Amino acid sequence: MSGFTHLHTVSGFSLRYGASHPERLAEQASERGMDALALTDRDTLAGTVRFAKACEKAGVRPLFGTELAVEPPAAAEQGGRDGRGARRRTPVRGGAFIDESSPRVTFLARDGAAAWADLCRLVSAVHRGGEGPPVLPWEECAADGLAVLLGPASDVGRALTAGRPDRAARLLAPWRERFGDALRLEAVWHGRTGTGPGSLRLAARTVGFAAEQRLRPVLTNAVRYADPGQGPVADVLDAARRLVPIDPSGPLDTGERWLKDGAAMLDVAERVVEAAGFRRDTAHRLLEQTRATAAECLVDPQDDIGIGSVRFPEPGLVGAGRRTAQRVLASRAAAGMVLRGYDRRADARTYWERMHRELDIIAHHGYASYFLTVAQVVDDVRDLGIRVAARGSGAGSLVNHLIGIAHADPVEHRLLMERFLSTRRPVLPDIDVDVESARRLEVYRAIIDRFGEERVATVAMPETYRVRHAIRDVGAALSMDPADIDRIAKAFPHIRARDARAAMAELPELRAVAADAERHGRLWDLVEGLDALPRGVAMHPCGVLLSDASLLRRTPTVPTSGEGLPMSQFDKDDVEDLGLLKLDVLGVRMQSAMAHAVAEAERATGERIDLDAIPDGDEATYRLIRSTETLGCFQIESPGQRDLVGRLQPAAFHDLVVDISLFRPGPVAADMVRPFIEARHGRAPARYPHPDLREPLKETYGVVVFHEQVIDIVHLMTGCGRGEADRVRRGLSDPESQGRIRVWFAQAAAAKGYDAETIGRTWEIVEAFGSYGFCKAHAVAFAVPTYQSAWLKAHHPAAFYAGLLTHDPGMYPKRLLLADARRRGVPVLPLDVNRSAVAHRIELESESGKWGVRLALSDVHGISEPEAERIAAGQPYASLLDFWERARPSRPLATRLAQVGALDAFGANRRDLQLHLTELQRGARGARGPQLPLPGGRRTASAGLPDLDDAERLSAELGVLSMDTSRNLMDDHHAFLDELGVTSARRLRSARNGDTVLVAGAKAATQTPAIRSGRRIVFTTLDDGTGLVDLTFFEDSHEACAHTVFHSWLLLVRGVVQRRGPRSFSVIGTAAWNLADLVELRRDGGLEAVAPRLAEKGPAEQGTADAPPATGNDPGNGRRIRWETGYEMHPWADLSPPGERAATGRKLWHQSPGSAG
Amino acid sequence: MTILCVRFQLPPMYEAALPGLLGLLEEFTPVVEALPPDGALADLRGAERYFGRGAAELAAVIRVRALALHGVDCVIGAGPGPTLARMALRDAGPGRMGEVPRDAVAEFLADKPVAALPGVGPATARTLCEYGLDTLGLVAAAPLSTLQRLIGAKAGRELRERASGVDRGRVVPNAVSRSLATERPFGHDELDTGRHRRALLSAAEELGTRLRALDKVCRTLTLTVRYADRSATTRSRTLKEPTAHSAALTRAAYDMYEALGLQRARVRVIALRAEGLDPAEHSSYQLTFDPLDDKARRIEEVADRARERFGPGAIVPGALAA
Repeated sequence: MSGFTHLHTVSGFSLRYGASHPERLAEQASERGMDALALTDRDTLAGTVRFAKACEKAGVRPLFGTELAVEPPAAAEQGGRDGRGARRRTPVRGGAFIDESSPRVTFLARDGAAAWADLCRLVSAVHRGGEGPPVLPWEECAADGLAVLLGPASDVGRALTAGRPDRAARLLAPWRERFGDALRLEAVWHGRTGTGPGSLRLAARTVGFAAEQRLRPVLTNAVRYADPGQGPVADVLDAARRLVPIDPSGPLDTGERWLKDGAAMLDVAERVVEAAGFRRDTAHRLLEQTRATAAECLVDPQDDIGIGSVRFPEPGLVGAGRRTAQRVLASRAAAGMVLRGYDRRADARTYWERMHRELDIIAHHGYASYFLTVAQVVDDVRDLGIRVAARGSGAGSLVNHLIGIAHADPVEHRLLMERFLSTRRPVLPDIDVDVESARRLEVYRAIIDRFGEERVATVAMPETYRVRHAIRDVGAALSMDPADIDRIAKAFPHIRARDARAAMAELPELRAVAADAERHGRLWDLVEGLDALPRGVAMHPCGVLLSDASLLRRTPTVPTSGEGLPMSQFDKDDVEDLGLLKLDVLGVRMQSAMAHAVAEAERATGERIDLDAIPDGDEATYRLIRSTETLGCFQIESPGQRDLVGRLQPAAFHDLVVDISLFRPGPVAADMVRPFIEARHGRAPARYPHPDLREPLKETYGVVVFHEQVIDIVHLMTGCGRGEADRVRRGLSDPESQGRIRVWFAQAAAAKGYDAETIGRTWEIVEAFGSYGFCKAHAVAFAVPTYQSAWLKAHHPAAFYAGLLTHDPGMYPKRLLLADARRRGVPVLPLDVNRSAVAHRIELESESGKWGVRLALSDVHGISEPEAERIAAGQPYASLLDFWERARPSRPLATRLAQVGALDAFGANRRDLQLHLTELQRGARGARGPQLPLPGGRRTASAGLPDLDDAERLSAELGVLSMDTSRNLMDDHHAFLDELGVTSARRLRSARNGDTVLVAGAKAATQTPAIRSGRRIVFTTLDDGTGLVDLTFFEDSHEACAHTVFHSWLLLVRGVVQRRGPRSFSVIGTAAWNLADLVELRRDGGLEAVAPRLAEKGPAEQGTADAPPATGNDPGNGRRIRWETGYEMHPWADLSPPGERAATGRKLWHQSPGSAG
Repeated sequence: MTILCVRFQLPPMYEAALPGLLGLLEEFTPVVEALPPDGALADLRGAERYFGRGAAELAAVIRVRALALHGVDCVIGAGPGPTLARMALRDAGPGRMGEVPRDAVAEFLADKPVAALPGVGPATARTLCEYGLDTLGLVAAAPLSTLQRLIGAKAGRELRERASGVDRGRVVPNAVSRSLATERPFGHDELDTGRHRRALLSAAEELGTRLRALDKVCRTLTLTVRYADRSATTRSRTLKEPTAHSAALTRAAYDMYEALGLQRARVRVIALRAEGLDPAEHSSYQLTFDPLDDKARRIEEVADRARERFGPGAIVPGALAA
């Protein structure tokens, strides 16, 4: 006898319901001797692909299905729904219960592709309703290829629960009519008492009822988790889904819903049939029915679902009606040659040859439609006037360049087609397109319009449980104090949930949480139990599926919540496996920012800037880059990049390409940076392992930086051809194949006559490179916007900042950009309802005659788009009354505008304005008396209220705009900082290497990136109004500093200056204090009160005194994540750090109860 | 004239001890006003001269007596008026009397936050702070018309007066408006309506029993539901007639609870408070022709007697017995 087949099994893809991953289910099924297993997730097929792949690996036959909520048939509804449907009172607190009242039915796909298409259709139909819980309308509930299991949760099952077999028989009729022979009754026993779902009596009734109705019963276990003992996790998921705490006295999971093996299910079957009054051996017949049902479900993952095949949109849609796609592509490429003038160049032959070679490769794979499809999309986007640029290895193809997809000329930049596509590599190449982020949805709509709804869908992105969410959900389920939950969750960095306990043991900043970890006992088990389970689905930010008209038969789609775009339930890996063509359309905020800057410059000055045609090698631009004041410039604004740019001193476009490629974990790991810079500045000679390799390595002074160079090296040394060389390069990242490649490389190179020493040295370089270099095509694609943004910053600073502030593209908070603007002499003009527009604008400042940035209405906290537009449309306003009546702002909004001075033009002080606004609102609400509320015509009369003082104004600006617009927030503390002897960022530039200094500022960014030495290092950037200070905290200081650094806005840091170049220095932090605390102490108790705080040890340090010193100075306990290439990483590096993000200002330290807002 | 404001440090739910403590104060002056649940105002008028001691000394005596006789500590504030005495209490600690000197009232008030003034609730305080009037000094300096525009004519006038140190309040003896409260905490977040209602029933029963034991009736019933996030909802209902009848209290409590329509709210505490207590003999009772009502009251009387004899748990409603 072969094992039992579970026909009703859910995985974690049933959001907040299933507790096991599909992979785990497949593995366990195989281990427990089953040879088939069904996956019937709730309302989704999202787990299907992973499940199918896992089943293939485990040697289990996958069955596909889904469990859907079905609207009861109309006939049944009349007798069924009791009159209690009257709307319940809206709760004053806590919200209403989640409605889960619809009966649920399990569908299984029986025969082939048609059945799979039916499943897709049903699941899509369930979600079509949009708002409200997903329910399948009864009229949609019909399909020939599906088997239907009516279980305890179905309407029939409920009638049996209620002890009403007569009603059950009546409810059964419409089902029988629709599905006839494919109908099954599902008996489930979970060891519950009573007659409810999971009780023995209901199971027995079901089996008895099936016999009576001459229907076939099946036995399932309605599996929710793979292993016994996961019941409590299921309880937490139930609680999280229903948004209620676990009720300890309520019905809890019995712990029976695991993937039981054949013997256990036989036991269950025997108990059920005995309870139903049959002989014990009838159990075998029940199991036989179950097995027979499973045997009827024949859907092949390859043939029927389409895993492993490729589908492009029909050629007719991309301009290839009568001719073949390949011919069309060839003629378009040739046209591109002529258009761009390459055919008239001296080296035209190179171009023609390369084009034909590439076309051959494309023809070899039959990918011509793919190229045409992408070209079509890019053309459509460009027609909309949206900035678009190709990124990724696609930029290496000349054909891509010729048909208008990629900007940069690959021949000139020595980019290789083979990195992108070669005859040796049959996988679908991948072309990514960058568009303006603000208009990304427009692009999606254009694609949908072009190809039709039946061919286009966006891609899903499951959000999985990580530690913070897991703590929040488990804590809420366990009735923990919300304040406690919040504190614990925020203390953690964004790590995997299963690492929660390890992190507490090892990270110094979590010591406080770890100290009372015991108190929360069960919390940690459950948190780790939720690890990586999906908890929601969002639209993938860039993937778009393009397929032929069969798309909807192959993937279920749901409308996205905000935009209503069709979204496939599969994620990006799944769609690749399914052979659906995915185009990555990335919304890049920098593109939007640049577009805005260009539009602003044109609006204000009439000058048209064509960014794609700006001259190369602009001196002012490179001077700006070399000064490292690159805040806001694409790709080169991070502290590490500013440091690198300072050392590298770029002078040409190629230098930017190298710079971007060098700033990756790989090159940093392989220490390519130092020799490169030494050689570049002529301090060390460029060295080549062999004169033959001079050619590919010349451009980078003998240092391997790009993928393309490795391909060239391998190709030159072995003569294997570039396509093969790319395969070899890919093999390098896998330690197993690395060994084989090494032998092959040595043999092939020796055969070409290289001596052993050269081979050895070259291999070392190739090996160290691993897979960690950077694709030059990527780097070139990145360097274009880098140069463009730096050019804008150098030549049109005001417009540049206006663009940045509007679209907020970078890693720094807006207030830092504003500080940068002020430092660079760009006037910042305050918000003014008579002058500000919806977006940031540039304006000629009359005093200085300079272009300044006028702040935007859209940055006001809580302003809605229509409100901002209404205010902008009604300008100018003559008086407060005029503004109130025509712009019709809400009162909180008007108050905020008054607080930040946007209404200053109407006279009176800001508080008086507030009072007037309040009265205007009262007047509008009640009956307006004969007396006008505002005497004095245009000017607003004074009411004698105290005006906002400076601190309050600053606080209002931070609260309302998240920016300190009038002055830097650190200015208030100058006196105190002078007392402490703090060095300002500007003076720090002249500090000597090794000096011990005190620095202070508002935290702008914090990172813990992966570092070559495998240590965890915290990088922080402080802004003190005069500039930025980059701080580095090494592990020995984490014990004392980490918690303060992660959890404070304002920092005072003691550190040692480290210099590496004329413009490159940082401060190595040794001690850190929360400056906000110190300021408060200073204010309340004078310097005497500050002194003890500086003298005392940090909380973490005190902790170490009694904690066992087992961890020593290395919180990772010597543990390292080793990459295949030998690159080591600290286990906790490269994570978003704990605490909130950098200071945005909205939540700041000094909002005293009396201040504005 | 010196007013003392005394706050006894009673453990919660022991308000029953307050009357005895008031008696203690009445030994010094007849003019004592109870501030339930645990405080009182005492006007020392003649007491200072009669006992020949200053306010501070008298306060010390009161504290020692309270400790000796009742084992209850207290903190005491003194000032020229009831409002100022209350504010002085905030600065006081055990064994340290807070005092507002008669001639430095304005200085005392100037730096206080507006919310410190008794009678300025969170809503008024928020309004005033929004307009930058966050200390009483600023309030006193603001134009009267502006204050009246902010919070209304009468409230504005009174606020300005009191912020300037004019304290027209009097200690009114015998205006005993005490209240009785009881609460039912849950060990975890409780969502179950049935259990909420049981808590209400038992709380209302308790209040009824306690009221009848004191021969009091209450005019108003207040329900407070506290949630896991430390927020709370409060609803008050004035009863049709003052009563101490458990069934009537329960009905009012249920009505208030139903009106909240709670579903997913995570309830941690349900508290009931009987307010506006008057002596039972002053209350009127609407007779009805319904004999059931009469019966219920008679049964209650019997049950009370049984409880008196066999302890409070001797007779409970069936719903609570399980």
